[in-house]
Amino acid sequence: MAPLKCMEKDYPLIDSHFQSFCASHAIFSFEDFLLYDLHALIASADNHSSSNTLKQGIDQLLSVIDAKLPSLRNGLQLLQDAECNKLLLPTGFQGIDALLGGGLRAGQLTELVGLSSSGKTQACLTSASTVAKQGGSVIYFDTGNSFSPQRIADLVGQTSDYVVDNQAELGPLQRVMERIMCYSVFDIYQMFDMLQQLKINLKSKIVESDHHVQLLIIDSISSLITPILGGRGPQGHALMISAGYLLKKLADDHNIAVMVTNHMVAGEGGTSKPALGESWKSVPHIRLLLSREYDSNVCNISTLKHPSVASGRAAKYTMYL
Amino acid sequence: MEKGGVKAWIDGDETAHDMLRRISAVRSSLLVPPLHRVPLRLGNVVEIVGPSPSAKTLILIQVAINFVLPREWNGVRYGGFDHSVLFLDLDCRFDISRFSQMLTHRIMEGNAVGDCDKTLYDLCMQRFLYARCSNSFEFLQTLKTLHCRLKREKDHGVSVHLLLIDSIGAFHWVDRASVFLSPKENNRKKLFLQSVSEAVVQDIKKLLQEYPMLVIATKSIIFGNTYSMASNEVNRCSRNVTRSPQQIQYREYMPSVWQSFVTHRILLRSSDDQPATSNYGNFSFYELEWLLPRIGLPDKIVVKDTGVFVDSRTMFAEGANCG
Repeated sequence: MAPLKCMEKDYPLIDSHFQSFCASHAIFSFEDFLLYDLHALIASADNHSSSNTLKQGIDQLLSVIDAKLPSLRNGLQLLQDAECNKLLLPTGFQGIDALLGGGLRAGQLTELVGLSSSGKTQACLTSASTVAKQGGSVIYFDTGNSFSPQRIADLVGQTSDYVVDNQAELGPLQRVMERIMCYSVFDIYQMFDMLQQLKINLKSKIVESDHHVQLLIIDSISSLITPILGGRGPQGHALMISAGYLLKKLADDHNIAVMVTNHMVAGEGGTSKPALGESWKSVPHIRLLLSREYDSNVCNISTLKHPSVASGRAAKYTMYL
Repeated sequence: MEKGGVKAWIDGDETAHDMLRRISAVRSSLLVPPLHRVPLRLGNVVEIVGPSPSAKTLILIQVAINFVLPREWNGVRYGGFDHSVLFLDLDCRFDISRFSQMLTHRIMEGNAVGDCDKTLYDLCMQRFLYARCSNSFEFLQTLKTLHCRLKREKDHGVSVHLLLIDSIGAFHWVDRASVFLSPKENNRKKLFLQSVSEAVVQDIKKLLQEYPMLVIATKSIIFGNTYSMASNEVNRCSRNVTRSPQQIQYREYMPSVWQSFVTHRILLRSSDDQPATSNYGNFSFYELEWLLPRIGLPDKIVVKDTGVFVDSRTMFAEGANCG
């Protein structure tokens, strides 16, 4: 909420005369100007004695807005950005890679939904270990103390390059583990704080440039959001949507793939449905449903929402424990 | 009043026939598939309502492709409208590779040789303009500066005739929760949500006066309700859920200033009889119903890799199901 007074220093056209003209229309800040009808303001400026200077002030404000916004991009520029920066990130988790044609895409928010013990955390740990092995950094927000370093070591050790039983070989494993940064987050405000801090760090490039952050995992985002949803006010939903926008902006600006998990609640007629309600459905780019057949290692994964794949497209895979 | 003046006043300025002819020349009506049931013209505001997922964004992409393609290119008739398109992404979810894929398919099927003409592809991609907003203030800023930006594009010979807004209700919750304090001595307490919607509608109206465009906006249903919507999603493969053929009632949540601005409204919902999608390949079926103007018969639309099409063969079979 930048009051117009503060802009006087940088933009001399927004002088006290202009400010008092705006005040007569109840415009005291930049945001008030955005909400006001521009043409009515110009028409009113026309009727004023010093209409030229007032109109120059209005033009100055408009050019400030124009300078702040990014310019319109065309399809070719978008495609080029997508091809150069928004690469596919293989997760190493058979089901996801099979369904998504290679892996998670940087710049997109992918959601994994499933009942308890359907493999969501395993998918997160597998993705973290695969990306870290390939050389990228992973940031893992753990909301339920389910992050397991032993499991990561097992997964990393499953390939022949990193044999763990030999003391001398601990070096590469240690390097891989160092690239996974795990934080315990227990409420949504803490998550907002950490995401803002991450945004600042990425913007100012404090993090070392040879290990770019490629993957951000939040396991599970529903346990952070569910406590604040409910009640009759809109604040809970507003926080949820803002969190979604913050994650998508981080993903897009810094070419990170974001993966979040969600649990399921009872729906009508005895079926289960994903938690977080209808409004959350329009937040993730891609939504995948995981389910495990009773008492077996065979799991199903299907798409709930994807820009190119039809909903309901399914794949089976076997989970190894 | 003179005698000639009174007679002239009674005779009128022009007949209805002349007026229709004049208007059709200036603003011709377009048939835009898959919304071709109702002719649209520049200046109309179409709202596409539907749950998530229901192919709303794909319809926008399909319409955009129809607009950017030229009428004819190298002897091949594409039947496009040959204009530029502006896409305002308020959901921040647009996938350019899907647009590119559908455009490539469209160009290839028109071409006798079957390959994709690179010059035509580049031309069409350049006609697609994109901007993204992550909150209401950014949206208002974009709308306010659109005048001079469109003017700049016009100077380069590019005229935008289609404005697509993906998810006009994207900031609804955030705006509802915003407590916007302003030191106004105003007795009438206005909600922030109301102020934003009024500003948005005013800005778009002024924009349409100077640059006549067709506006198409999508809107997701955010107040979940009927049984059919929730269970359909998860029980896609196990069809032991019989859905009663009732209409999805959705709650209108946009302020009345936007509702009265909208001239056409379409409702999308997932289709009753979904074939087993795993065997059917990459097809999805939805139902498209015109609410404003009200056409009782819903269309079945199918989403393929190549685009969104009205499935004509099942159209008459659904005749008994009209509401």
